[in-house]
Amino acid sequence: MDRFRTTGAARRLIAILVVLGIAFATTAAMAKGDTTGDPPSAGAATPDAQSTPDTPAPAQSATPPVSPAAGDDDAAAPSATDDTAPENEGFDYAGTVAALGEANYPEKRRIVSALASHPQAHTAELLAAFADNRLVARESDGKVFVAEENGNDYDLRDPITFEPAGRASTRDFDPVRTNIGLRQNIGAAQAQLKLSAEDAETRLAAVETMSEKLDDNAADAMRAHRASETDDDVLEAIDRALAINDLNTGDNDAKLAAIERLSGDNSQMVYNRLKNMLILIPEDTADADQARLRAAAAEQVERIDWWRTVYDYLETLFFGLSLGSILVLAGIGLAITFGVMGVINMAHGELIMLGAYTAFVMQQLLPGHIGLALVLAVPAAFIVSGLVGILIERSIVQWLYGRPLETLLATFGVSLFLQQLVRSVFTPLNRSVASPEWMSGLIRFNDLFALTANRLVILAFSMAVFAALILVMQKTSLGLKVRAVSQNRDMARAMGIRTQRLDALTFGLGSGVAGIAGVALSQLTNVGPNLGQSYIIDSFMVVVFGGVGNLWGTLVSGLSLGVLTKFIEPQTGAVLAKIIVLIFLILFIQRRPRGLFPQKGRTAEGS
Amino acid sequence: MTRTHANHGPVLTRMLGDTGSLIFVVVLIALTVAIPLCNLVAEPGSALHVSNFTVALIGKYLTYALLAVALDLIWGYCGILSLGHTAFFGLGGYAMGMYLMRQIGDRGVYGNPVLPDFMVFLNWDTLPWYWHGMDIFAVAMAMVVFVPGLLALVFGWLAFRSRVTGVYFAIITQAMTYALMLAFFRNEMGFGGNNGLTDFKDILGYSLSSDGTRVALFVASGVGLLIGFLIARFIVTSRAGRVLEAIRDAESRTRFTGYRVELYKVWIFTISAMLAGVAGALYVPQVGIINPSEFSPIASIEAVVWVAVGGRGTLYGAALGAGVVNFAKTWLTGAFPEIWPYALGALFVAVTLFLPKGIVGLVSQLRRQIRRKEPS
Amino acid sequence: MLKKTTRHKLVTRVLAPALLTFGAFTGAHAAEDAKADCPIKVGVLHSLSGTMAISESTLKDTALMLIKQQNEKGGLLGCQLEPVVVDPASNWPLFAEKARQLLAQDKVDVVFGTWTSVSRKSVLPVFEELNGLLFYPVQYEGEESSRNIVYTGAAPNQQAIPAVNYLMNEVGVERWVLLGTDYVYPRTTNKILKQYLMDQGVAESDIMINYTPFGHSDWQSIVSRVKAFGSVGKKTAVVSTINGDANVPFYKELANQQISAADIPVVAFSVGEQELSGINTGPLLGHLAAWNYFQSIDTPANEQFIENWHAYTGDDNRVTNDPMEATYIGFNLWTKAVEKAGTTDVDTVIDTLPGLKVDNLTGGTAELLPNHHITKPVYIGEITDDGQFSVVWETDDEVPGDAWSDFLPDSKKLKADWADLDCGHYNTETESCTGQSAEQ
Repeated sequence: MDRFRTTGAARRLIAILVVLGIAFATTAAMAKGDTTGDPPSAGAATPDAQSTPDTPAPAQSATPPVSPAAGDDDAAAPSATDDTAPENEGFDYAGTVAALGEANYPEKRRIVSALASHPQAHTAELLAAFADNRLVARESDGKVFVAEENGNDYDLRDPITFEPAGRASTRDFDPVRTNIGLRQNIGAAQAQLKLSAEDAETRLAAVETMSEKLDDNAADAMRAHRASETDDDVLEAIDRALAINDLNTGDNDAKLAAIERLSGDNSQMVYNRLKNMLILIPEDTADADQARLRAAAAEQVERIDWWRTVYDYLETLFFGLSLGSILVLAGIGLAITFGVMGVINMAHGELIMLGAYTAFVMQQLLPGHIGLALVLAVPAAFIVSGLVGILIERSIVQWLYGRPLETLLATFGVSLFLQQLVRSVFTPLNRSVASPEWMSGLIRFNDLFALTANRLVILAFSMAVFAALILVMQKTSLGLKVRAVSQNRDMARAMGIRTQRLDALTFGLGSGVAGIAGVALSQLTNVGPNLGQSYIIDSFMVVVFGGVGNLWGTLVSGLSLGVLTKFIEPQTGAVLAKIIVLIFLILFIQRRPRGLFPQKGRTAEGS
Repeated sequence: MTRTHANHGPVLTRMLGDTGSLIFVVVLIALTVAIPLCNLVAEPGSALHVSNFTVALIGKYLTYALLAVALDLIWGYCGILSLGHTAFFGLGGYAMGMYLMRQIGDRGVYGNPVLPDFMVFLNWDTLPWYWHGMDIFAVAMAMVVFVPGLLALVFGWLAFRSRVTGVYFAIITQAMTYALMLAFFRNEMGFGGNNGLTDFKDILGYSLSSDGTRVALFVASGVGLLIGFLIARFIVTSRAGRVLEAIRDAESRTRFTGYRVELYKVWIFTISAMLAGVAGALYVPQVGIINPSEFSPIASIEAVVWVAVGGRGTLYGAALGAGVVNFAKTWLTGAFPEIWPYALGALFVAVTLFLPKGIVGLVSQLRRQIRRKEPS
Repeated sequence: MLKKTTRHKLVTRVLAPALLTFGAFTGAHAAEDAKADCPIKVGVLHSLSGTMAISESTLKDTALMLIKQQNEKGGLLGCQLEPVVVDPASNWPLFAEKARQLLAQDKVDVVFGTWTSVSRKSVLPVFEELNGLLFYPVQYEGEESSRNIVYTGAAPNQQAIPAVNYLMNEVGVERWVLLGTDYVYPRTTNKILKQYLMDQGVAESDIMINYTPFGHSDWQSIVSRVKAFGSVGKKTAVVSTINGDANVPFYKELANQQISAADIPVVAFSVGEQELSGINTGPLLGHLAAWNYFQSIDTPANEQFIENWHAYTGDDNRVTNDPMEATYIGFNLWTKAVEKAGTTDVDTVIDTLPGLKVDNLTGGTAELLPNHHITKPVYIGEITDDGQFSVVWETDDEVPGDAWSDFLPDSKKLKADWADLDCGHYNTETESCTGQSAEQ
């Protein structure tokens, strides 16, 4: 074992040489089987090709234990069916597989690509096993196996023939690791094997998967396949992929044709490659062809850039509205407890937090129904936070009306209490609230513009909550009474309004809305004991900026602060942006001491 | 809360005419003298001995008490609720911290004679302009009162001139301290970012870790609190103090009577900020670090809570509140690390509900009850 | 004979009291007490409330578990260990106060604690003044070495640089976004990384650095900028030093804007199993973290540790993470040193510590170096859909921790050596201990 350990470096060298050999073999095969008349692309594909022809020999002499190197005709691939093709000539399948054991990631990627181009009977299975992390290498000699875990042992299979190869302890093996990039390459390689599937849909899917990880092997495979392809959609997809590939590796004419073919395509992949072309060709190139090419690419890039700028502004606006909608959600409950009732409710943040935890609990109660749980969490959070709010009002706040500054002290105590309560019940760790399907991912409008689903949903949700609240305040008798009490408590009581009960209900309403905000926030941020703390200051700012006691003010102030922040942020960075917004707020209050929409009347003066 | 003050007679009788204040001053002087003696003279192990730990702890409480007095001066006597007073406390602390930082000289880990360590490792090659002169004690001490004072002056002038009052004022002071916190977090500001200023070695040539220096700082804090308290008492018992109380109780009416309300407010706010700055400056060498978390909005709210717990509008009540709440925190976080926030939260609620005038109010209430019983 | 007794008398009557008084004044007697004290007191200084409780409370539990296990094995030097838990409440000055309380009032023999750099910085003077011993279990920015602190978390060269090497050599990244929270750890790490990348031939225009405030929760624009930065045709990666609370919204935004790990991988230095337990990792598959330990690493020691942890917490879903392993290593280093020294006396233990080796949980050895840092293996893991990491790359050997980075001009010349030089910042150019020369 020790002997092999010490030869690690040697084996690594062999692996590299094998890979170089593959490159050579591929080039050779290309030259033979090329039907599209595009030889330069093959040359460009493997820069090492020129230097390879001689290297296999020394490699072979240095590698008795591992495998014969590339170029060895009677390779150890024993039972492989020979009908797969002329291009398998000169390709050392077994040696290539064996090299996986010691390869690094770039080498592994090349190996995978080469295997897909020279498939044998079990290549698809091998690739599937590799993608599932079921390939292992024996520690003692680096030999590669396909393994199935069985207790503390592995059931082994030969990676070439897939014959069982015994059983051994897992401790004797190292995994042949994959990373996400490699798994994508494997996916593309698997797709390549499916190119000849019966079903046109499968072929189309295969071409699309391959397009995502285009390398020259994949392009060659597509090019080879193109001749026999009959389906128009697949042909279209292949042509697009080949054109994109040409942007990198074609000759000047091919590149120009590709630019022509792809004009109007704004996708990232095209843009990236065009941009790269601009980097590679110097601006003052003397070569007329190159200059022409550069101009064509520049024109496309310019066009895409222009659209990008337009969409960037749209996107920033959306980001601002989305941030604003969260500020509105967080602040709107406070606009009632603080704005309408005059309670400096420092526990507001904790009521939001309770709502977020309600979402978590609902998801625990309804495992498997993420979306349903979240929808049900909205009324549940309203009830939970609302009841806690009523409890706070009945037990503490009701004794303090008319002494707003003392409500600050008492509710500060309540907030400490609630935070610790959550810590005791749910531990101090963050809880995970999952996002349902319809709230994850992007809603794509075109190649350049997409909005995140969750932000859109929350923006709409925020507006809905606001609308509902306005309706309650304007159209229901509860709302009428609340407004009456906030304008003149004594008069309202004289008119027969049970102010005590109403206070409790109003406070409960504000708290309940805070709880609803918590459900929305659970989709964006940490659900933990500190959730409330991070929103309390912003909430107060929003309410004060909008004008205490005015719900519309809260809406306008939240949205405008959000948009303002997002338009400053790209210039100054997030920290300075926040400072600037705060200073703006201070100065604004100096100009308009009662916010955007000051409440008029006698009581407004009393605070 | 209105109280008639003896407005004539010698200043001292006027200031200490109130029993509570007199008791407070006597107790404070006794503490300032006795604790150092008990620490330095009494043998360790004897009943009278006060440990270094206790000295440092009480020294810290004294600086908090001074902050509370400053806060009570504006809140209790002028009705200005500042939820950003730790901003001034922090600025004073940073001024002191800068002085202490410069005293390190070339004893920092990188051995740079001029630049503090954090600047060296951020590759700064020159000292920012505002750090110049801070190695001179007198300059630094001037900054301790000047910087908070200036900020309060500008901020107060802007706010009071346009009649920002009540909760609006409270919320924009929160915005102010929050903005300062974020700004000081930024490394570009040149104040050590999140880590702040730390690793101090000595003050006026005396090592900060020696017992003597610690006791001296303790005495300085005691004296600082005493002077701060007397200044505050002097103001509230003067004619101006009565105008302040009038503003607190009926601002519009006072204005219509012909007083320039905003001038009174700006001026008391500025003095209060300077006192807070001094408190910060005394605090820093005793805890050994100053960083932006001192500016956190929650810290400011906590300071208001101290005043409320002790009893608003008495000055000594505020100092007492700072001591009680912080002692409770020290004790509870050690004794009940897992559940102490319940106790502290409950304390705040209980005080608001049952002791609307704070601990001091409880005492006078008890006294009144006793007095009422006596005649019957 | 007579002479001998008088000499003896002289010693007992005159010298001893003088020495004793002297000892009382210098505080040297504290050490004498410690040796005789039973039980041995172990301080635990982690925030149990406030913003840092999310991370730190787990380490308190870890320390308590290790103490319990040690006691079940019969304690240490025939003494039982007694934990002293305090709550510094995520409040930095309170950290200093609590440290003083542990050392001066409770007279603990060792302290396990602190998480953030600022909390360590605020207790450091206290530990140096009162001659305590602190084991610090979290990865940090380096640029420090105190005689009274043992750093069992990673220094930048044990986390950041290997991670960048992986991305550069194995993934082929050419363009870099360094995202961090605006405080000293990200600042320093990014500074080191930028220098390192430029030394490797990366152009300055291919490096984007961005800082956000603590607890930043709105990542829309930044993520979108990262996307734009990564769209010029060069393979781009994000190196994230974003701090605790801001990570969940950051990753949620990444998932929502569908930045796949295959296009723009994000490698994080502050996101471990525990942070992931607050996120649904489905959309984050393949993003990376660099640590010195992963729960998923399959060794008998780790299996045992996880089993004990589950038994101790009574919760089979509780995850383990890197700082827990660092606490484990620190605790074992300390017990080993105490056993070897035969005393808990801080000076003796500090002298005994350098060179000690204990097993880590991933099948290797952690050796305490003279600079008070330890050797650690480096693993790069990809996020899997069960909230764990699967290792995609690891260093061949353990990497020794560097107290002073070689990539910062002023720190290059410094080295720490508490075994021979007795100095935490020895200037190799002037061959003197910076700072101390002036004091003497």
